[in-house]
Amino acid sequence: MPERHDSDGPPTPPAANPSDLAELLAAAVRGGAVDADAERRVLAAFRAARDEGAHRAAARNRRRDDWRPERVRRGGRPVRTTLVALVASLALGGVAVAAIGSGSGGTRDAGAERGGPLPASSASTGPPVTAPNQSAPAQADRGFSRPPSARDTEAHCRAYDSVKKHGKKRGQVLDSTTWQRLIQAAGGAENVGAYCAEQLAEKKEKKKEKGNAGKSKPGKSPKAPKVSKTPGGGATKNPKSTKSPESKAE
Amino acid sequence: MGQGRQPHRGRTSDGELGAAVARAQEGDEAAFAVAYRIVQPGLLGYLRGLVGDEAEDVASDTWLEIARDLGRFRGEGAGFRGWTATIARHRALDHLRRLKVRPRASALEQDMLDLPGPHSTHDQALESLSTEYALGLVASLPRDQAEAVLLRVVVGLDGPAAARVLGKRPGAVRTAAHRGLKRLASRLDAEGVTDDGPSTLGESR
Repeated sequence: MPERHDSDGPPTPPAANPSDLAELLAAAVRGGAVDADAERRVLAAFRAARDEGAHRAAARNRRRDDWRPERVRRGGRPVRTTLVALVASLALGGVAVAAIGSGSGGTRDAGAERGGPLPASSASTGPPVTAPNQSAPAQADRGFSRPPSARDTEAHCRAYDSVKKHGKKRGQVLDSTTWQRLIQAAGGAENVGAYCAEQLAEKKEKKKEKGNAGKSKPGKSPKAPKVSKTPGGGATKNPKSTKSPESKAE
Repeated sequence: MGQGRQPHRGRTSDGELGAAVARAQEGDEAAFAVAYRIVQPGLLGYLRGLVGDEAEDVASDTWLEIARDLGRFRGEGAGFRGWTATIARHRALDHLRRLKVRPRASALEQDMLDLPGPHSTHDQALESLSTEYALGLVASLPRDQAEAVLLRVVVGLDGPAAARVLGKRPGAVRTAAHRGLKRLASRLDAEGVTDDGPSTLGESR
């Protein structure tokens, strides 16, 4: 930075260079020495955690704790998850457009359609969940015509979420069949967290689409209440019970 | 800082930090102390920008969580800075929610009006900014700019890491940091603070 001591009038300060300023600021804000008492307490906390066995490597499985360089570059998302999200959103976009056109006569068709593309998209994550797929036409015959695979998965994911969020034991909330279904759908136990995040995000997406498509959606009103939190139990929900009359009129 | 500009803020100690974290994960308490000393000043500075006077309390909560979850962390020194900054941010936002106040952009600025000025003592040959003044400046920025500047400059994160901490796109964080620094620079200009400041700082340190 040029110094202007030799100027004619009162010296004008050189313009603050933002990058020099950064150094200045960093030094100033970081300030002085570390507090010794605080450090002692922190080390005590470390010892306590270590001695409880909290630092065992077996605990490593949260995406938020993965800061390896390749993960940070992608903003914390693995490539596979990004692709799944992409494919899923394309599939849903197609389904929504198709369902708009199907109208009131399309109850069964749309139900089967919904059952169709969804397993196709989850096929990219792993083996498709076959049981809900088979029950889709049967459901449609009874006029339930909602995609059981999506609802079940969503219920499973909500249950899984409650394990993570509320620290419950997984065994209490998810029975092993449900957990196995999630693993199948996600293509691996380690992917379940990411898969469920996508599923729940998709559900928000679907709700918006339903809201736009209005009455042509089979068996559902735009304000579909949240699926019950019973894992694996979503399949028998009667759409008539709580929804507005219009839902069955189509 | 006497040797001139570092290749990237905070980077020169990243290797040491990564090694210390790895040893700490194996149970080495002294290594954890090393990591603490490297990371804490930046974290504390960031927290002051977010919560002002309660920064030490929030830092305590932060380090409790860091100590507890240390086994879950995966990454190197730079990643550790990002991971700890994320934890600090969560604790800060929780803290603010409990107090039901918004992040203290205005509070520090108000305090700043009572400060004697940018220089801590008149007879300081090196005209450095006092910590409170610098923090007041940063706190006067819009929140997204303040956070971007603090994470990049004080915590020493690179673009992608700062973006991940804030949950924003790297481009948005880059823009926010750039604008924040420009605004700070123009404020310092306006107050005539930068006489010889930047040019002597490098030499005297």
